Amino acid sequence: MERGMRRRDFFKVLAAGGATATAIAGCSDPPEKLIPFLLPPDNIEFSPGIPVDYATTCSECPAGCGMVIRTREGRAIKAEGNPDHPVNRGALCIRGQASMQTLYNPARIRSAMLQQNGQWSEVDWAQGEAAFVEAIRNVSDPAGIVLLTDRAEGTRGHLLDQWLAALGASPKLVLDPLGQNAIKTANEKTFGRKEIPQYHIDQATFLLNFGSDFLETWLSPVKQNRQFAEMHAVKDGETGKGTFVHVGPHRSLTGVNADRWVSVNPGSEIELALALAKSELQRRRRELSLSEASRLESFFEPYTLERAAQATGADLDSLKKLAQDLGRAERSLVLVGGTTTASNQATALQIAVNLLNYVAGNIGGTVQFGANQEIDLSTPYAEVAALFERMHAGEVTLLIVDGANPLYYLPAGVGVAEALDKVGTIVSLSSAWDETTHRANIVLPSLSAYERWGDSFPQRGVFALKQPVMAPVFPLKASEDTLLAAAEALELTDLAGVPNFQEYLKTSWQEIQRDAGSKEPFDTFWRRSLQNGGVFRQVAFSSVVRLNLEVLGEDMAAPELGGEGLVLIPTASLRHRSGEGAVSSWLQEIPDPVSQVVWDSWADINPKTAAKLGIRHGDQIRISSPHGEVLTAAYLHYGVHPDAIAIPLGQGRTQSGQASEGVGLNVVGLLPARADAASGDFAYLSTRVSVAKGEGKAFLVQLDGSPRQLDREIIQTMTLEQYDQEEKPLPAHGGEHGGQPRPITFYRPRDETPGYYEPYRWGMTVDVDRCTGCSACVAACYAENNIPVVGKERTALGREMSWIRIERFLEGEGDDYQTLMQPMMCQHCENAGCEAVCPVYATYHTPEGLNAQVYNRCVGTRYCSNNCAYKVRRFNWFEYEFESPLHMQLNPDVTVRSKGVMEKCTFCVQRIHRARWDADAKGREIRDGEVTPACVQTCPTQALTFGNLSDPGSQVSRNAMRGEAREEHRLRQYEVLKDTASLPAVTYLRKVTRHQPQEA
Amino acid sequence: MTEITYSEVTADVLRTLVRPKPAYFLLLLGFVTALGTGVFSLAVQVDVGIGLSGISHPIGWGFYITNFVFWIGIGHAGTLISAIFFITRAPWRTPIYRAAEGMTVFAVMTAGLFPILHMGRPWYGYWLIPYPNSRMLWVNFKSPLLWDVFAVSTYLTISVTFFIVGLIPDLASMRDSTKGPRKLLYTILAVGWTNSYQQWIHYARAYILLAALATPLVFSVHSIVSWDFAMSNVPGWHSTIFAPYFVAGAIFSGLAMVLTITIPMRVIFGLEKYITDHVLQSVARVILFTSIIVGYAYTTEFFMSWYSGIPAERGQFYFRAFGDPALLPFSEGSTLGFPQIAFWIMVFCNIFAPLPLWRYKIRTNLVALFIISILINIGMWFERFNIIVNSLQRDYNPQVWGSYTPTIIETGITLGSFGFFFTLFALFVRSIPALSIAQLKENLDPPRKNPTQQD
Repeated sequence: MERGMRRRDFFKVLAAGGATATAIAGCSDPPEKLIPFLLPPDNIEFSPGIPVDYATTCSECPAGCGMVIRTREGRAIKAEGNPDHPVNRGALCIRGQASMQTLYNPARIRSAMLQQNGQWSEVDWAQGEAAFVEAIRNVSDPAGIVLLTDRAEGTRGHLLDQWLAALGASPKLVLDPLGQNAIKTANEKTFGRKEIPQYHIDQATFLLNFGSDFLETWLSPVKQNRQFAEMHAVKDGETGKGTFVHVGPHRSLTGVNADRWVSVNPGSEIELALALAKSELQRRRRELSLSEASRLESFFEPYTLERAAQATGADLDSLKKLAQDLGRAERSLVLVGGTTTASNQATALQIAVNLLNYVAGNIGGTVQFGANQEIDLSTPYAEVAALFERMHAGEVTLLIVDGANPLYYLPAGVGVAEALDKVGTIVSLSSAWDETTHRANIVLPSLSAYERWGDSFPQRGVFALKQPVMAPVFPLKASEDTLLAAAEALELTDLAGVPNFQEYLKTSWQEIQRDAGSKEPFDTFWRRSLQNGGVFRQVAFSSVVRLNLEVLGEDMAAPELGGEGLVLIPTASLRHRSGEGAVSSWLQEIPDPVSQVVWDSWADINPKTAAKLGIRHGDQIRISSPHGEVLTAAYLHYGVHPDAIAIPLGQGRTQSGQASEGVGLNVVGLLPARADAASGDFAYLSTRVSVAKGEGKAFLVQLDGSPRQLDREIIQTMTLEQYDQEEKPLPAHGGEHGGQPRPITFYRPRDETPGYYEPYRWGMTVDVDRCTGCSACVAACYAENNIPVVGKERTALGREMSWIRIERFLEGEGDDYQTLMQPMMCQHCENAGCEAVCPVYATYHTPEGLNAQVYNRCVGTRYCSNNCAYKVRRFNWFEYEFESPLHMQLNPDVTVRSKGVMEKCTFCVQRIHRARWDADAKGREIRDGEVTPACVQTCPTQALTFGNLSDPGSQVSRNAMRGEAREEHRLRQYEVLKDTASLPAVTYLRKVTRHQPQEA
Repeated sequence: MTEITYSEVTADVLRTLVRPKPAYFLLLLGFVTALGTGVFSLAVQVDVGIGLSGISHPIGWGFYITNFVFWIGIGHAGTLISAIFFITRAPWRTPIYRAAEGMTVFAVMTAGLFPILHMGRPWYGYWLIPYPNSRMLWVNFKSPLLWDVFAVSTYLTISVTFFIVGLIPDLASMRDSTKGPRKLLYTILAVGWTNSYQQWIHYARAYILLAALATPLVFSVHSIVSWDFAMSNVPGWHSTIFAPYFVAGAIFSGLAMVLTITIPMRVIFGLEKYITDHVLQSVARVILFTSIIVGYAYTTEFFMSWYSGIPAERGQFYFRAFGDPALLPFSEGSTLGFPQIAFWIMVFCNIFAPLPLWRYKIRTNLVALFIISILINIGMWFERFNIIVNSLQRDYNPQVWGSYTPTIIETGITLGSFGFFFTLFALFVRSIPALSIAQLKENLDPPRKNPTQQD
C-alpha cells in the first residue's frame, strides 16, 4: 500500500485543477468553470499552496446544511459549514465533517461494471451505458421499470420523475430509513398541513421531548443543536435558563442532555401526552373557543395523570410536577419523533403531541407552519415494501437503484434478497459498493455528492446549490447525467435538448431567479449563487392553522409490540445515522459520546434487568426476536428503561467496504416488517426480544477508562441556584490583561518573561454548559489534521490517535443520574509537564503560548505523554496508512507523521500561520476571530472560543476571565486539574445543572 | 585464611579459567539462546514499530523502563562492594568483589540498552547526547531523561575504569601463565605491570582514589534514575522519598544478584575456601538491612498518599493494592488483576521473603540463600513494574485510564536482556579471574622464607 499521493495521481489532479477547467461529468463533456466561494484576487482559481473554497450543500442527511469545501491543488481536503447558510450558520455535525470520507470512500466504484453469473468485469463507460440503454429497450411494459433512490431533493427529484414519466414508468421511490412521514401525516390530520413545521427550540423556555433525537439525527440536527444551546445554556449576565425534560424509554445523546428524564414504558407516550394535554387544557381553556374547548375536554376526559402514571410506569408525583412545570412555562415546546417513538402508532403519538402543543398555545409560536421544510422527501416504507411485493410477483423487469440500499435497510420480512432474484435486470447507479449494488447486473457508478450538481431547499427562503468542488476522483458520471445520456440514446422527446444535468438545473434556477425578483442577467445571478452556495433570503412567514377536530376520532391505542421479553428499541446513531455513516472510518473510530464505544454495536440494558438476567457489563448476549437472532455486547446503561433494550442502528454492513464490513450488527434484522398504520413509516418500535447470556465476554471497546470521575473534578458543575445567587459581572468590562492565579514558584512567570506572549497568547475557552457532546469537533480535527485511523484492536489498547476527545462521566445512580461531557484537547499549558521532560526539546513553549511539537526532532521517549496530566498526547506506534483514495484528503499544511513520534493538538497552528500571513500582508496584527481552529469552527453550539489571551478585549479573554482584576469575579470559569500547576491555556466554564444527583 | 598460600590462590583461581565443566557450556548455550531471542525481537520491533510492545496510551513506559531500572539497580551492589566496602575495609568483600564488579559493568551495559530501544525512533538515540551540530540543536537539561544519559554514561565509565584498574595485577599473572594469542591480549591489558614496589605504591593510591570516586555514584546514579519518576507529576511517581528509596532498593536487589551469581560460582568452581559462609552471611545481613529500608519506604508511600488528601494519589495506591473501587454501572470494582498481583509479589518477596535471614542458620544455608536471592530479584523487578506501570495505569484523568498487557516481543527483549547479561558474565568468568588474585593475597599472611621467624 502506498503512502501519500502517488506521483501520477498528483499530476492528474494538478492538471485537472491547474488548468482552472475541470471535466465535470465524465470524459466526453466539455470542461466547465468552477466558481469558488470567495473569489481570490485576479480570479486565479488555482495556485499552489493557496486554498480555494467552494460553496456547496451537505448531502450526508436530508437537512441540507450549507458547506464550504476547501480545496488545495485541486483536491477537496476539508468541509466546513457555510457561515451564510441560514440552516447551519457555519457549523457542521459529525457526519458533515466526515463528508470528505464519502468523497474519498475507498469502497467507491471506480469504473462501469457488468456482472454475469457472479463474475464481475470492468467495462468502458460507453459499454456500460450501452448495456443500460439495452436493458431499458428490452423492457416491454414500462410499468416494469422502477427507480429506487435515497435522495431526491430539489431539481434532482424533478428530473428523476420526468425521466421516468418519459419512459412511461411510475414515479421514483425514495428510501430513507429515517423517514418523517408520521409528522407530515399527523399534521395533515390535525391541522390540514402535510408538512414538517419549524420548531423554534431557541424560543422555548420549557422543552419537553418525547423520544426524538433532535441533537443527533432527527430533522436538522445542526440547527437544533444551535437552537438548543440558545435555549438551554446560561448567558453571561443573565439569570436562569430553559428547562429540558426528556420523556422516553431511552436516553441517547439528546436524552442525556436533559435536565430531567422521565423514564416511561416503551410505547406509553400517547397516554402521557394526552394526560398532559388534559391538564394543560384546564389551565388554558379560556384561550380556546368554547366549542373547541369542550370537545377537547370530553376527548381528554379519560386521560388522567393517574392513568398515565399507570401506563407509563412513572411516578405520579413526577408526572404532576411535569404537568405543573409545563403549565407554568412562559413558552413551551413539545417535540416528538425519532425511532424510539416510531411504532405502528407513531402518527397517533404525533397527533397526541400536536394536541398538547395546541392546547399549550405553541402552535403559531414555537411551532410554526409554512416553513416549507423539504428535509424529508422519503416515500413511506409501506410503499417501498409494496414495491418488493411487486418484485416478488415478478412485475418488475428493470430496477434502477441510485444510492438506495434496500437489501441492508429493509427488514427480512420484506424479502428483499428473494425479490431481487426475480427482477430481470438490476442497474445500480450508486457511487460506492453496498449490499444491493453487489446484486446488480449493470453498475454505472455515480460521482459522489461533492463532484456533481444539484440543489436543495431545506426551508423557505433557502435555495441551496450543490456544485462539484473538484475534478472527479474517478472518471465517472453523475447519476443524473447517466440517466440523461440514456434518455438521449433512447431519444426520449420529453428530455430532448437537455445536454446534461447542469443545464437542466440552470433552467430550473431561472425560475428561482424570477421568484427571488432578481433583475440581473441569469449568468450573473447563477455565478453569484454558486459563489454564495445558493440564494438565502430572510422570509418572514407565519401561517395560521386550525385544529381539525375530526382528528379526535383517531385511534389512540397503545402500539403493538409483538414477541416476549424486553422491548427492542433501535436507536438512530449519531455517527452512522441509519447506516450511511458506517462506511466512514472516522465515524467508526470516533466513539459514541454516551457509550464511548467504537467500531461496534452494543445493547443498552438497564443494570437492574441485567442483574436479573445475570448479565454483566461487556458480556456477550444473545438477543432473539421472532424475526432473527444476534449476538452482541451488553452495555449497562442507566438511561434505558428496565423493560427495554436499546441497540443503535447503522452497523452490521456486509458488503460496503473495509471500514464497515463485519462491524457490529444490523438491528433491523430483528424487526418485523411492520409499518405505522397511518403514515406508512417503518415501525422500529414493534417487537419484544428475549435476552440471554452468551458465551463469555464480547470484544467491546470503550474509550472511557472509568465511568466515574472519582472526585478528580475533571468536569465541574454548579447548580442553577448557585449560579443565580451569584452576582454576574459582565466580562465585557474586564480590566487589564493578566495571566492566571499562579502557585508559589521559583521561576519567573512566562508572561513576565520578555519575548513571551507578546502580542499573542493563544488560548481557548470551553463552555461546558453549551457542549452537547455531539463530537463534531472530533471529526473536524480528524479531517483537518491528517489523523490516522487505527482500527478496533489498536483502539482497544488505547492507541487511537484523536487529538480531541469528548470525555464522559456519570454522576448518581439508577434513574437519578446525570451524564457530564466535555471536550478535552491539549491544554497548551504555560507550565507544561511535557515540555520540561523532553530530553531533546521536541516539545517546547513558543513565544505565542503554543505547546509546539516538533515531529522531526522527536525521538519517541513518550515521557511527555506520561507527564501530561490531561493525557492528550498521542503516539505513532506504527507507520499508519491512508487507504487510497483517502490519501487525497490529506491536508498539505499538516505533516503526515511517521512512526515513533508523538503528536497532539496544535490549536491548528497552520491556520494561525495563514492568518498571520494575511495580517502581515495587510501590515497589521491578527484580529480577534481571524483564527478559528477546526474544532471551534464546526461547533454547532459555539461552546468553543479561540483567540488571543494577551488581548484583554478578545472574546476568549473575556470568557476566560483571567487576570487579577477579573479573577475575583470568576463564576463558572475553571481550569481542569488546577492542582497540577500546569497553568493551562484552556479555560472551562462550568455546566449549570438544575439538579445534582446523589453520589453513591 | 591463614592456611592458604599464595601459590594455592593463584592455582585455584586460574583453574576457573582453564577447564570448564560441560555444565558451563550448557548454561552458556541457554544464555546465548536467550540473547538471540532478544536480538531477534528487537530487530522486528525496530522494523515494524514500538507498537509491537504492549506499551500504549496512557502507559508510555512498560517492561523496557522496568528492565532499565532493574538492571541499573543490580549494578549498584557491585560498586557498593568494590568501592565502599573497600574504603571501609570490610574484609569479607575481597573474594566476591571482582564478580560483583563484573556484574556491575554488565548490568549497566544491559541497562543502558533499554532507554534506547524503548524509543519510538531508536536510530536517533544519539540526539540525547549534547554535541555541536550544524542544526544548532541542543538537548534539554531540564529533562530527567537527559540526567539519566549523564548518570548512566558516567557510571559506566567509572565502573569500567575501576574494573580494569583492579584487574591489572591479575592480568599480569595471566600474561605470565599463558601462551599464544591470549598472552598477547593479556600483555596489552596488563600495561607493563612488573609487580615492582614502585608500581604497587602508585597502584594502591590510584585504586583508593578510584574507589572514592565511585563511592558517590552508588548514591547519585540511582537517585537520578529515581528522579525520572519523582520529577514528573504522575500520582505514584511524584514523591520526595524516591531517591533514598531507590538507592536502598538498588543495593537490596544488587546484593541479591551477587548471591545469585556467587553461590553457583562457589559450587561449580569449588571455591568454598574463598567464598566462605562468613562472606555469604555478611552479604545476607546487608540484604536484611536494605529490605527493612525498602519495607519502610513502601509503608511511607501509602501513608503519604493518604495524608496528601489528593484523590488521584489515594486512588493510585488503593489501585495498586486492591484494584479499582466500584465503577457503576460498569463494574462492581475491587479486582485482583495483574497489577495487584505484581504489587503483592513485590510485598511478599521484598518484605517477607528476607525475614528468615534473621537466623544465622538460614544465612549460611546455601540453598535457602539462593532461593531467597532469586525471590528478591523477582520482587525487585516487580517493584519497578509496580512503580512504573501501575502508576501510569491510573493517573489523574479517569477518562484515559488504561491497562497494560505485555506482548511476546517485549517479553522476548526482556529475556534477551538476561541473556545478554549472563552471556557476558559467563564469558567473563572464563577469561578473567573471577576472584581477585592480588587482593586475596593481600589478605593472606606473606610467605616466609624462614618458618622459624613465625611469632
